[in-house]
Amino acid sequence: MASKPLHELSIAEAGRQLRAGTLTSSQLTQHALLRIASLDPLLHSFVLVTSERALADAERADRELKAGIDKGPMHGIPYALKDIYATAGIRTTCHSKLLIDNMPAEDSMVEAKFKAGGAVLLGKLATHEFAIGGPSFDLPFPPARNPWNLDHFTGGSSSGSGAAVAAGLVRTAMGSDTGGSIRGPAYYCGTVGIKPTYGLVSRRGVFPLSYTLDHCGPLAWTVEDAALTMQVIAGYDALDPASADVPVPNFASALGEDLVGLRLAYPRSFFANQRDISPEVVASVDAAVQLLTRLGAKIDEITLPDFEIFSACGRVILTAEAYAIHEKDLLTRPLDYGRYTYQRMMVGATISAADLVQAFRLRRELAAIVNDNVFSGYEAIITANGLTPAPRFDEFPPDVPPPMTLQTIPFNVTGNPTLAIPTGFSRGGLPLGMQIVGRVFDEPTVFRIGAAYEAAAGWIGKRPALELPITAERAMHHHHLKANAETS
Amino acid sequence: MTSEDDKALEHEFDILMAKCGASVPGERRAGILAGYRDMKRMAALVRQPRRAADEPSNIFSLKGFVRSK
Repeated sequence: MASKPLHELSIAEAGRQLRAGTLTSSQLTQHALLRIASLDPLLHSFVLVTSERALADAERADRELKAGIDKGPMHGIPYALKDIYATAGIRTTCHSKLLIDNMPAEDSMVEAKFKAGGAVLLGKLATHEFAIGGPSFDLPFPPARNPWNLDHFTGGSSSGSGAAVAAGLVRTAMGSDTGGSIRGPAYYCGTVGIKPTYGLVSRRGVFPLSYTLDHCGPLAWTVEDAALTMQVIAGYDALDPASADVPVPNFASALGEDLVGLRLAYPRSFFANQRDISPEVVASVDAAVQLLTRLGAKIDEITLPDFEIFSACGRVILTAEAYAIHEKDLLTRPLDYGRYTYQRMMVGATISAADLVQAFRLRRELAAIVNDNVFSGYEAIITANGLTPAPRFDEFPPDVPPPMTLQTIPFNVTGNPTLAIPTGFSRGGLPLGMQIVGRVFDEPTVFRIGAAYEAAAGWIGKRPALELPITAERAMHHHHLKANAETS
Repeated sequence: MTSEDDKALEHEFDILMAKCGASVPGERRAGILAGYRDMKRMAALVRQPRRAADEPSNIFSLKGFVRSK
């Protein structure tokens, strides 16, 4: 069998070769850095490439692995971070003019865990400004572009994470998800993305958007890669007030199992009856559900409260909390925010205390309906991720548009683990996808369902057909420019 | 909405912006006003029939507070 290009090796495959001595982390890392230098001028997925740090991490990992020191599944494996994760001594901008010179003194908890696990930091990734304001062309860095079609939106706010993983620049990249910011880019860019159970991954050192809705999790090319990343980053953190003091499961424990005996709920009307739904999306999710049935799952169609109720609950909370976080700067430095960021956040100034309390009361009710009613009879819920494929950039108006047609915020409201996974392509060649929603702290079952579907559906064999328009010389020049930004 | 409704909404919006001390740049105002209209709709949706004792999801927990110190 012909050997795969290095960027097509999964975390587990690369890990086996690293431990067998047939591959070094330095080789893996140099391959990734060259690929970033060649392709990222098209994609703008990285705002900073940490080449020197990456090569040093890789050399250290090679020495340790050679000496028999094994720090876990991501030892020697490259990763990247959305640029809202604090990295000690490495600029962390939130893609904003307001933090353009921000040099954190301490690592975020997630970054500390990657370091402890011997992983290799490739760099910091584009985001919507403060994880809310995009896609925008009035920020210090351009928006990331969709590798499947550069004229199309990546989704956000973890825009660089989606683009970089889909293009094979990195296997796994951290995103954050407050209303769909992991699952949206995963959907539009055709990758996997896991929004874990609320509290399972520490938010410490991640610039907050909405304290009670923020979730940290990875986007990855495969379900297994997402599960192995979760193994490194999950765990209780006494300094994150929302951190859940629960045992960390073996996230990969059920990968490879069939779906016989699993009961799945399919709230088809939740998305299929919506005004803006694309028939392609409905057909794609229906086909995925049929495949899950053939794999042994028993599926019942159910109903949930209207999407609009979940959405209203989440958006009142998110907008109020975001405004509270940014209030001072919004009032004193309005023009330092991008136009969309400012327009989205300033709506928070109109929300009353009673509005917010009512939203929090509704949240408890909705979480009870999902967790007590639906999950008493089912192991997972299957639903659409978005209503349409990725829109074009030129479809976005000058003033911030209404929320996109993503179906993600309900599970920020309820806190359940939710996996975004591709289910095929539109006629125009853009990714489509679904969400697999699990019981709280039952990520292993979510990954089990996702992996069984992924293996049977076969979508991961298809990558964006990106050409390499940049010559090696120009690529390395660009590479040096980005690397130099690290120290400037 | 009628034009009178629109005017009333704009008036409300301007009062709310003044109350919070915001000087909204003129060329950014329309987008926030549209967002305010949508937020009013959502604020109505979160008001469901419920009992006085029905608590919010994020009730203050001393256990959690002590743990994080």
